[in-house]
Amino acid sequence: MSDIILFEAKKVITMDPNRPTATHIAVKGDRILAVGGADCADQWGDVTNDLSLSDFILTPGFVEGHAHMMAGAIWDFAYAGYHDRIDPDGKLWSGKGDLNSVIGDLSEYEKTLPEDQPLVGWGLDPIFLQDERLSRKHLDQISETRPIAVLFSNFHLMCVNSKTLEVVGYSNETNAEGVIKDDAGHPTGELQEMAAMFPVMRRLGIDFRSLSQTEPAIRSYAKVCQRAGVTTVTDLFSTLTDDDVTTLTRITGEAQFPVRIVPALAAVGAAPPEIAQFALKLRSMSTDKLRLGAVKLMTDGSIQGWTARVKWPGYVGGQPNGLWNTPPELIYELVEEMQRAGIQMHIHVNGDEASDVSIGAIEAASRKHPWTEARHVLQHCQMMGVDQFKRCANMGICTNIFANHIWYFGDQHAALTIGNDRAERMDAVRAALDAGVNVAIHSDAPVTPMGPLFTAWCAVTRQTMSGRVLGAEQCISVEEALHAITLGAAYTLKLDHDIGSIEAGKIADFAILAQDPTEGDGSALKDIDVKGTVSSGVVHLT
Amino acid sequence: MTGIPLTVIGGYLGAGKTTLINQILREPQGKRYLVMVNDFGAINVDASLLVSADEDTIQLSNGCVCCTMGADLFLAIGDVLDGDMRPDHIVIEASGIADPAKIANVAVAEPDLVYQGIITVVDGANILDQLVDHFVGNQVRDQIRVADLIYVSKTELNDHLSMQLATISKAPILKSDAATIEMLLSPSTPKAPDQIAAPHAAYTKWFAEADVEFNRNTLIYALQDRPKGVFRMKGFVRAETRMLSVHVVGAHIDVTTFPNDVETGLVAIGLASEMNAQDLDAWWAKAKENARTPYSML
Repeated sequence: MSDIILFEAKKVITMDPNRPTATHIAVKGDRILAVGGADCADQWGDVTNDLSLSDFILTPGFVEGHAHMMAGAIWDFAYAGYHDRIDPDGKLWSGKGDLNSVIGDLSEYEKTLPEDQPLVGWGLDPIFLQDERLSRKHLDQISETRPIAVLFSNFHLMCVNSKTLEVVGYSNETNAEGVIKDDAGHPTGELQEMAAMFPVMRRLGIDFRSLSQTEPAIRSYAKVCQRAGVTTVTDLFSTLTDDDVTTLTRITGEAQFPVRIVPALAAVGAAPPEIAQFALKLRSMSTDKLRLGAVKLMTDGSIQGWTARVKWPGYVGGQPNGLWNTPPELIYELVEEMQRAGIQMHIHVNGDEASDVSIGAIEAASRKHPWTEARHVLQHCQMMGVDQFKRCANMGICTNIFANHIWYFGDQHAALTIGNDRAERMDAVRAALDAGVNVAIHSDAPVTPMGPLFTAWCAVTRQTMSGRVLGAEQCISVEEALHAITLGAAYTLKLDHDIGSIEAGKIADFAILAQDPTEGDGSALKDIDVKGTVSSGVVHLT
Repeated sequence: MTGIPLTVIGGYLGAGKTTLINQILREPQGKRYLVMVNDFGAINVDASLLVSADEDTIQLSNGCVCCTMGADLFLAIGDVLDGDMRPDHIVIEASGIADPAKIANVAVAEPDLVYQGIITVVDGANILDQLVDHFVGNQVRDQIRVADLIYVSKTELNDHLSMQLATISKAPILKSDAATIEMLLSPSTPKAPDQIAAPHAAYTKWFAEADVEFNRNTLIYALQDRPKGVFRMKGFVRAETRMLSVHVVGAHIDVTTFPNDVETGLVAIGLASEMNAQDLDAWWAKAKENARTPYSML
């Protein structure tokens, strides 16, 4: 049998302008040998035919340029969110449209738990629930004896039942900020921010660290990717201890492991030169399916939490400007040090003031330490306008735009955060492309579900949950969207020489689809059935 | 309360937090302080004090341990609480832009910790500019607003600066490293008058019997109305049917039910220059007079 495998497909969408479509891909080892028709590999000798994918459409494996590893293991908890979602094992968790369904569904789930295990839920978003606020009284209907905690979708808030309050000792005498109380002075069960949630998490065993970097978490993340057709995924804001790297190296080194992971080191907790040194050390430890060496910087908060740093005229509700997680002075210092050391940065920027400061910091660093191939990436980029995109284009800065926000939060942004006219030009993928910026689009999973085709649909249609088209001028074409979730995202990870298109020499990473994403106007992109992936030449059907 | 006292040192970039921490580490305290810092590289202690050092922890011969908090402060706190090392006191250096209250609040919420106050370090030479900075002004102001003690570093405190700070916070202002460290390291649980050491240069103490029964809300009202200069107040007071534990630090007042019957009394620690025992005696006498009056009638 030849070691050249010839995959036949209904259609291959290559993203290679030299040969936009094909029917066959010849693969040798983990690499693409040739692309074209049935005879494409004849020059290379005998082939072994693989017809298992011949009913499907193949595209380059999707690249998720902004997600977090906890998107997998968070499913160890019970989903309590508003939208339907599918877990890593393919189980559908139906969305909960009102508090009764939250209570009903969690009650069913509660019956399946061992007696001594607390019930932990996640994904609740009160912004979508029109009835009263979730309180301990609702959760007590599920159980009065088992501790219950339901995390909100933003992970900054939770609601607990009376038993949990008793376990942590919260009472009407508790004075901690964030332990919300009713008019009679009793805790309602809602806990806001980490300090108030910490005692609950500690006692109920909710450990965010075990949601990433542990073996089950890594494997669970891979399943999430595989279901979404993703063959290369980031973990943006990774802590990466020596043990973490050892575990990641071992697991990603398995031939059957279906995804390439690109963690970006959290640039916090040490002085900039030490962070740079550590990132360089990590880079040297990279393997094919574990690409280390980039860093992630935080700058501001989130727009829907009113903590993003926004330029005039600010928030429509008159809320004060948001909060820096890293002050501009330190952003400049970090950016200069990373640029000097030759380390690629992913920089979180939600508000337009945060992106402005970050672009300014890169410009200042570039004057001191020129590096045209830096490809620093602004992440989220939600309020950037043409002016900022042009500065990015001039300096080779990439943008990875949070297109999923249009559907999930677009209506809220128009009504409650930055107001209608700026909401219409949020997540301005059209403007970025027109300015000549390299663009990726992302889910920020688990904040929104991972699904590059859904993300592409958001960027193409710009539909919100209410059905409104939010800023039709910023819509992009299906081809542009497919580029953003493949080659565009690969470029932001400096991996476009290896992945992002189907052409000879690149790694054999494909998404296996039941329908052709280039057919039609893009309105069906989100409904395309993902059958699995091919990762480094290995077929993974789900 | 059996929890570990926790103090947060806040203040903007360059305010002088690290200088202060380096001095704390050099003090011969005789207690196991755990100091959690952002930038380990800036920690500078005499080699003769070092017992051991690795990538993220140094151990000193005076009992102090200094460690990095890594990317997630709360995970680091959890590790300390669930680990073998039971420090006598935890001191956390907040990052330059952090709201120290968001960190210190964990000591209020977590039963295994005891809130021991926020000391905000202010760069006397630059603070007035920082307060009006377009980008960070509000966050710098909030760091001062939540302080229980303010330490002005790098310059002599002048009237203009004092007044500016007073418009933001009522917290006492400390003028020297030495005074700040004395306040920070002052005993957290002095129990009886005979244990009170000789009057110290920076802080002074006050003790009173609590030989009457209080209404809880009336007691809280009285504590809010206490004379200025008190940094911390601790003790036990009897209510109608139970024992109340009193824990006051700066603007933070905790009055909670205490399960055991213990000796009543109150101890206060304050800045020697600002706290006056006669004022406290008079205040407490009046509070005791009204002890059973519902606070809505006061």
